[in-house]
Amino acid sequence: MERLSLNENPAAGQQGNHQQGPQQQQQQQNNNMLGPMSQQQQHGPPQLPPQMFTTAAQLLDLTDKKLVLVLRDGRKLIGVLRSWDQFGMKYSTFDMEDGDRLTLFNFFLAANLVLQDTIERMYVGNLYADIPRGIFLVRGENVLLLGEIDLDKEDDIPTHLQRAPFQEVFELKQKEDAKRKTGDKKRHGKLQGLGFEAEHSGEILF
Amino acid sequence: MLFFSFFKTLTNQTVTIELKNDIRIRGTLKSVDQYLNIKLDDVDVLDLDKYPHLSSVKNMFIRGSVVRYVMLPRTEVDIGLLEDATRREAANQAGKAR
Amino acid sequence: MADSEDTGAAPSVSEPLDLVRLSLNEMVFVKLRGDRELKGRLHAYDSHCNLVLGEVEESIFVVEEDENEEETIRTIKKQEEMLFVRGDSVVLISPQA
Repeated sequence: MERLSLNENPAAGQQGNHQQGPQQQQQQQNNNMLGPMSQQQQHGPPQLPPQMFTTAAQLLDLTDKKLVLVLRDGRKLIGVLRSWDQFGMKYSTFDMEDGDRLTLFNFFLAANLVLQDTIERMYVGNLYADIPRGIFLVRGENVLLLGEIDLDKEDDIPTHLQRAPFQEVFELKQKEDAKRKTGDKKRHGKLQGLGFEAEHSGEILF
Repeated sequence: MLFFSFFKTLTNQTVTIELKNDIRIRGTLKSVDQYLNIKLDDVDVLDLDKYPHLSSVKNMFIRGSVVRYVMLPRTEVDIGLLEDATRREAANQAGKAR
Repeated sequence: MADSEDTGAAPSVSEPLDLVRLSLNEMVFVKLRGDRELKGRLHAYDSHCNLVLGEVEESIFVVEEDENEEETIRTIKKQEEMLFVRGDSVVLISPQA
């Protein structure tokens, strides 16, 4: 995804004279609306573009909510989002050529997130196990997907799934992963000979 | 910025996103950013049996880089406009490169 | 295909993506990572090879093993009316006759 960024640090630097404004506004926004960890000074007029409000509202929405995070290594974490830091915040807004202002909720995916009462849920076949993990700090770049859990449906675990002891699930999972790896290798070997290319180097597992 | 702008015109439409691990998620496109990270509301995961961890999720953020396809409502796409915008973007890019 | 008038750029082919520009509103063949191929009408692209295709036929190639442990390749075909394709999956784009 980094490949896709047109306006990351260097570009933001080029936009030098625009940069100050959005940053101030970002800070403003933090103080007003988000900021579990926001201690920055307040500057500048509070002129948030409409899109920013909606995004800010979305971020605000997720604080103290129960979330499921899918990480790059395939882990599924469930926990309550209590805090995040400002990493990645600096470049969260840009002035665009067309006068539009762009807000990144990428902030979310780039920031560090703190989850409370975290459990890691492991699935294999029709079994699952929960491992209590307590407080978890997740580096945002490892987050592939982040969903808010509907508390009304939280306990509606699909009927075909059964809870099992961690050790049992863990061992089955290891076997399954190993099997999939060799299967993938075989499959790719065959197709590679015909000029096909694997999609990812085992990165996306979830 | 072409696709960023394009997706902005599709906000509040129902789309289906296919991820690179084959999960398909249908939902209302709520927000998109320049990385094409996407926020979906009222999500519906197809083939939930295979992906039980998403069963009680009501909205989600998806990292742009894990997206393979986004299936779009054809009636909501102005093809002429889109192609013109593409030509303009191509010309801009060429101008920058020179 | 003419360039957009407001830019005044010459309709030349000087870099690879110019070739793709000539395929706008034409059928193209797209090869993707993950053992997939697409055929569809090209409506949009950018420098990352992000695409929008219409009237799409997707082919997915799957290796299957039969009782004799013989490996065969099966093709799954799917249709989509309008599809955004993320550029990082794209291997090649080819004008389709």
